[in-house]
Amino acid sequence: MGAKITAIEYVFPERKITNEDLQDEFPDYDFKKFEDKVGIKCRYIVAENETALTLAVKACEKLMQRISRDKIDYILYCTQSPEYFLPSTSCILQDVLKLNKGIGALDFNLGCSGYTYGLSLAKALINSGQAKHVLLVTAETYSKFIHVGDKSNRAIFGDGASATLITYNPEEQINNFLFGTDGSGYDSLIVQNGAGKFPYNSEAEVLEYGSGNTYTENNLYMNGPSVFNFTSEVIPPFVNEVLVENRIEIEDVNQFIFHQANAFMLNFMRKKLKINKDKFYIDLNDGGNTVSNTIPIALKRYMSEQSDGSQKIILAGFGVGLSWCGGLIEIDNNI
Amino acid sequence: MNIEKFIKDLREALEFEEELNLQTNLKELEDWDSMAAMILVAFVSDNFDKNLTTEEVKNVTTVDSLIDQIGRENFS
Repeated sequence: MGAKITAIEYVFPERKITNEDLQDEFPDYDFKKFEDKVGIKCRYIVAENETALTLAVKACEKLMQRISRDKIDYILYCTQSPEYFLPSTSCILQDVLKLNKGIGALDFNLGCSGYTYGLSLAKALINSGQAKHVLLVTAETYSKFIHVGDKSNRAIFGDGASATLITYNPEEQINNFLFGTDGSGYDSLIVQNGAGKFPYNSEAEVLEYGSGNTYTENNLYMNGPSVFNFTSEVIPPFVNEVLVENRIEIEDVNQFIFHQANAFMLNFMRKKLKINKDKFYIDLNDGGNTVSNTIPIALKRYMSEQSDGSQKIILAGFGVGLSWCGGLIEIDNNI
Repeated sequence: MNIEKFIKDLREALEFEEELNLQTNLKELEDWDSMAAMILVAFVSDNFDKNLTTEEVKNVTTVDSLIDQIGRENFS
């Protein structure tokens, strides 16, 4: 007995920002070089009156066109852009989607590693007999945290949401997952103000980093080089551990699908792991870095182009926390 | 690696307009940004199998200091 991913849907908000749009706004920054290295052509951001939940509802409704909402007995809602500090956004989602009341629902606060953690949690709920049909949602609107003058982060991050149904299955198709956490890197990716440690500061000083990027401590801050150093040093050996844990060799894996943060970084990791280009998914052109959404979006996009039959995929999510999680799944093209 | 080749390859990888020499302070160049820092780490890893830490990248100023961080024994 085990668990499998049955269906995935995702949505982007309507408003599309291209590199040309950003070039018009920031004429002195080289967006051609950015596009070439980072691999992003456009990203989508929510309107002012929209939230991550707005997108989550759309993604879930898209999923419900294929699967019956009455089956869902647990919601795992991954977000760092909750509707409120409390209550959990997952409770509101239950109501909006008109799901049964006799179900479990909770939020969990993770970013880039969120989807892989979510899969592992869903598998655990199902294999312990506590749930049969888990709705795993990722929903993120980093655009709301980013300062208008922070061209780097405005270019990198995009908003989005995904909905995945994980169900119990005679065979285990969500195999072994491994985890990692390093809180010493907590400030490599952070929105400092507005929660317990530091209140929101309406008079926060405008600070500068990199090549003329501005932000305040109310905004998202990312130390790019620090995050790159972490991912390039920690993740390749970690992925090798995941392979060993699942008793599988690179040759027997159909595709490696990692968190789509940055094409240059991903290609660097691919080379370190000695994986061929055709087995290593890199595509964030359309949508950019959507945080916990990148893996479900990549899975959906990749599998839609595959022929019938199941594939063995190694997933790895890593980033804000610092947090990472990876594992092996088997998945069909009818997701 | 030959130092001249190193400087040439480094400039190519970084896609810098400015010419580099041992005394060029990389951090003070107009083209230096977080993308350059990323490319630098990748370049050193690809060519010397060495992972520069955040601290070591911080300590890099001139091309000569970069050679120090990588280790002079790696150069001819």
